[in-house]
Amino acid sequence: MTLKSILLGTAIAALGTASSAEDYIIGVMSAQSGYLAPYDGPAYAGFKFCIDEKMANGGLNGTTPVKLIVKDTRSDIAVGVQVVQEMLDDGAKFIVSSADADPTIAAAQITAADMIPTMTFAGTAPVLTQVGPHVFGSYPADNQQGAVLAAYARDQGFEKAWLLTSPDSAYTLGGPRYFGEAFESLGGAVVGESTYSLNQPDFSAIVTNIQNADDAPDVIATWAWEPDFPAFIRALRGAGVETQVMGGDVLDTPTVRGLGDVVDGVVHTSGGFPDEGSAYADFIDRFKASTGTVPDNNYYVNGCDIVDMIEQALAAAGTTDPAAVSAAMAELEDGTATMSNFTFKGTDRMPLREVVVARIRADGEKEFVLRQLADPETLPKP
Amino acid sequence: MDQLVQQLINALSLGGIYAMLALGLAIVFSIVRLINFAHGEIMTFGGYGIFLSMVFGFPPVAALCIGLGAAVVMALAMERAAFRVMRGADVISLLITSFAVSEILKVLFQNGISARPVPISFPSAWSSSYQIGGMTIGVAPTASIFVTILSLGCLTFVLRRLAIGMAMRAAAEDFDMLRMLGVRANRVVAAAFAISGLLAGVAAVIWTAQRGSVDPMMGFFPVLKAFIATVLGGLGSLGGAVLGGFVVGTLEVLTQAFLPDSLTPYRDAIVLSAVIAVLLVRPDGLLPARSGTRS
Repeated sequence: MTLKSILLGTAIAALGTASSAEDYIIGVMSAQSGYLAPYDGPAYAGFKFCIDEKMANGGLNGTTPVKLIVKDTRSDIAVGVQVVQEMLDDGAKFIVSSADADPTIAAAQITAADMIPTMTFAGTAPVLTQVGPHVFGSYPADNQQGAVLAAYARDQGFEKAWLLTSPDSAYTLGGPRYFGEAFESLGGAVVGESTYSLNQPDFSAIVTNIQNADDAPDVIATWAWEPDFPAFIRALRGAGVETQVMGGDVLDTPTVRGLGDVVDGVVHTSGGFPDEGSAYADFIDRFKASTGTVPDNNYYVNGCDIVDMIEQALAAAGTTDPAAVSAAMAELEDGTATMSNFTFKGTDRMPLREVVVARIRADGEKEFVLRQLADPETLPKP
Repeated sequence: MDQLVQQLINALSLGGIYAMLALGLAIVFSIVRLINFAHGEIMTFGGYGIFLSMVFGFPPVAALCIGLGAAVVMALAMERAAFRVMRGADVISLLITSFAVSEILKVLFQNGISARPVPISFPSAWSSSYQIGGMTIGVAPTASIFVTILSLGCLTFVLRRLAIGMAMRAAAEDFDMLRMLGVRANRVVAAAFAISGLLAGVAAVIWTAQRGSVDPMMGFFPVLKAFIATVLGGLGSLGGAVLGGFVVGTLEVLTQAFLPDSLTPYRDAIVLSAVIAVLLVRPDGLLPARSGTRS
């Protein structure tokens, strides 16, 4: 009797957890702790919200139910590789990877053998897709952001740029370099560059060097994230340097906007802006009504956009075969999404999407400056 | 020349923070032989104390005082909850305990407050600057240097003139003898943790004023540098910890300021190589403790 009970219980448990034969299994790497948690957390929340909406209507394209496997990577690349392998063993046919190039590149090495489509939550370094034809970005790439921001800087009359880079990540190194390349191609000059380490304790030495530069810059470009950017901007303004600062989309956070006077006038790129009446504004309303949380950065909506990208790739492929889905995704052109439309066709699988430029005000709000699609012909090469 | 002076001010400012953190580590180590890697979380807790105080509407100066108090309370709670029961354990067991405490607190900060940095917006005057000759010097680094000097001065007074301070110094020399003389061990150890927490709190105040945000990892990196400073100065040596802090801070700032562009990515490696070179010549540190704990 006991043995029968155990067998029966095991069978029921197995039935309860098993996916049905038609489920499209998506594996999600989501760091719940560590440096990626602030980005993976919101991106996954937006992704899950839109998956749930689709499931309420029969699944992707109304026909394909989805089963998610979500695993914590703790922002550790080795753990990330391990969980991706586990998700593949559990039948995942699509992997959504963490919001940075390095863990995505590591994950893509594992998914390459079976051509499992692998899309980063919000990694923007264009080098990440060079692992293979199954790897995709989802957010406007750093070279698109750098090109649009540099064009805006030149339009404002800035002529001499100083780059603040960190070689510790592809994002913090590449973003400012793309800005500098585009800035120079438009007639500006890069007059200096300082490097820092991630989580560097102190930026005062760098600020003093900028302050005493023979050829003083009129704009400083950085893709530094938190907590490095707050430390840098406080040190910069604290030393009395009022030079215009411009940065990447990573500055589009409530933490940076909450720094008060020191960030007044800082200009940054972004993936979107919730104009009144837009699909993005509608997403915010729906998300807030459903979860009680106000999406305060673009990672939420970009997570939702990834669902749209997967759905449209499946529709174009007409099958869930991973290689076919990868090939179909790479050919999508002017696909519809909430933050902005996207095109993979003709790119190196970093989608061509509109880049927004926004300005931070001292009151903690941001104001819209412009929205522009980078010219693929003049983009700085990865 | 102006640039060199400005960089020296930067070095003193950063070195002062390392010195205070290193001193906090050294005080505890000298008495209970604990290398407290959770010291960084005491600093972080102080930072969150400042943040939450400002969220609840306290004026900035009051928030800083609350941050100081929060760090002391955290240090005392840590001693009572985690380290008192481990007293007398070997150094490795204590070290692992401190790692565990550190990890638990980091996870609590991440899940209880936020995984991402939270902003602290101090009055703009705190981010202003002033002119001396041709130099522009920030208010925050200047205040940092003064606060460091004041803190170290007060600590010297406590250690040399007050009974509890003398008991702590005696405990660092021979804790068993001190207990045999009737001094209550719990009181001395708790005082050491309280002072250690206070120093971490002062470091948190300066750190948040200069950096403008608090995150779960805020204390980890500076305490790592402070640990290097205590080893450089001489493990268990209070004077050595202070000297080590200033040396590490100065090396960091000067390498950041004057290394050629091609070498700046190797900055940390160069600083650590310099520390190793010093320890090869003086294995007990720059100012070894009398008990001669070898690094």
